[in-house]
Amino acid sequence: MAKARRRSRRTLTTLVVLVLISVSVITLDQSGRTHSLASGVKSLASDVFSPLRSGVNAVLDPIGNFFAGAVDYGALQQENRKLQSMLGQLRMQLDQRSFDAKQMAELEKLLAMEKLPYLNSLSTVMAATVGVGTSNFAATIRIDKGRSEGVALDDPVVGAGGLVGQVVEANHSTSVVRLVTDGLSRVGVTFGASAAATVIGRGVGAPMSAELVTTGVKLHRGELLSTSSLLGGEFPPGIPVATAKASGMSTSTGQASVEVQPVANLSDLAYVYVVQWSPTL
Amino acid sequence: MSLGKLTRIVLLVVVTLIIQSTIGLDVRIAGAHPDLMLLLPIVFGIAGGPEDGALVGFLAGMAADLLLPTPLGLSALVDCLVGFAVGASTGTLTLEIWWIPPFIGVAGSVVGVLAYAVLGAVLGDPQFLRVDLVAIVAVVAVTNGVLANAAARAARWALGPTSSDHDRLSFAGRKKW
Repeated sequence: MAKARRRSRRTLTTLVVLVLISVSVITLDQSGRTHSLASGVKSLASDVFSPLRSGVNAVLDPIGNFFAGAVDYGALQQENRKLQSMLGQLRMQLDQRSFDAKQMAELEKLLAMEKLPYLNSLSTVMAATVGVGTSNFAATIRIDKGRSEGVALDDPVVGAGGLVGQVVEANHSTSVVRLVTDGLSRVGVTFGASAAATVIGRGVGAPMSAELVTTGVKLHRGELLSTSSLLGGEFPPGIPVATAKASGMSTSTGQASVEVQPVANLSDLAYVYVVQWSPTL
Repeated sequence: MSLGKLTRIVLLVVVTLIIQSTIGLDVRIAGAHPDLMLLLPIVFGIAGGPEDGALVGFLAGMAADLLLPTPLGLSALVDCLVGFAVGASTGTLTLEIWWIPPFIGVAGSVVGVLAYAVLGAVLGDPQFLRVDLVAIVAVVAVTNGVLANAAARAARWALGPTSSDHDRLSFAGRKKW
């Protein structure tokens, strides 16, 4: 009985200690002063884990493809073997062509972006997306370029027609990009002559909105919002961010919020450009 | 905790983390993917009791946090509480009935995901409650329910022959406090 009590007390003590450690770590991560320490630990862990993950992916991908092929073959065998085999080969060729065409389209979009005025004077790093949405609760992608290739924290990321997001974690050889749709994303934008607004992400799957800062200037449906030097000049001016899905205008009595949609096709980000940009402030 | 037991637990956590960050992220249903790291404290809570559940939950959660863009320590906090709660509440249940681990896996996952969302929002990130929680809860709960029996066997292996069944029963016997 006494032994059981001791064990129960020990279990409770263990729980309290673990909870206290967790809360302390959360506090360290959330605090402005010690956030760099927590992100440094994360970056180190990511650097250690990345090769392991890449290695496992390299092993698993062919196995997955093999099983996918085997399942297809088994289904086709019920029909005419010879004919279906040929059909399977043709399908594979078509898939390959479709994949190539898709990748080519992405690359063409990127090349087109390179000619845009806002990127001409800025150095960029081209990166491939290696992971989408590591968390169910944050809109992020992982790219295959890191500090060793010149990617830095807070660098803007563009691709597929406009602003994609911002680097929030720069590791040695990979980086994490927070998409503009993420709930923590805030982008200072401009529209019309010189009206200001802030495009706010609302989280995974939720629509974005623009909080119109300048009063008396109407944002029209379909109008383009591009980055400005608002919010500390975190982005180079002129990058297309979103288009308005409705009209709206802030007045002196109240600020208008208009639903917007990102210009960049965030569901199909095979390649992106990291813009090497230092904020003006 | 013996060195052998600790080694097996760490090995299981690392293997699960690799599976989660490779195959787990490829499986995406209605925009949500499974959370195998949450399954670990649940099955260790079932197989080893509240202390093992909490310890493995903390370890698995912290490992997951290192690779997630969300606040460091949040998964560790939620997972250790889930592991403890599962261990404390299932002490008197027989684990020989095949459907008990899946049932607890589903229930623990629902509680874990909701607790994670609420705590994330409390920490100042309202998007945790704006996401499609129904889809996330459904995907995580169903996959963890399906994998619970296999994971419980792995947990028993990791805990070794000196599994803390006795600890669990003695704790459960005192859980009226």
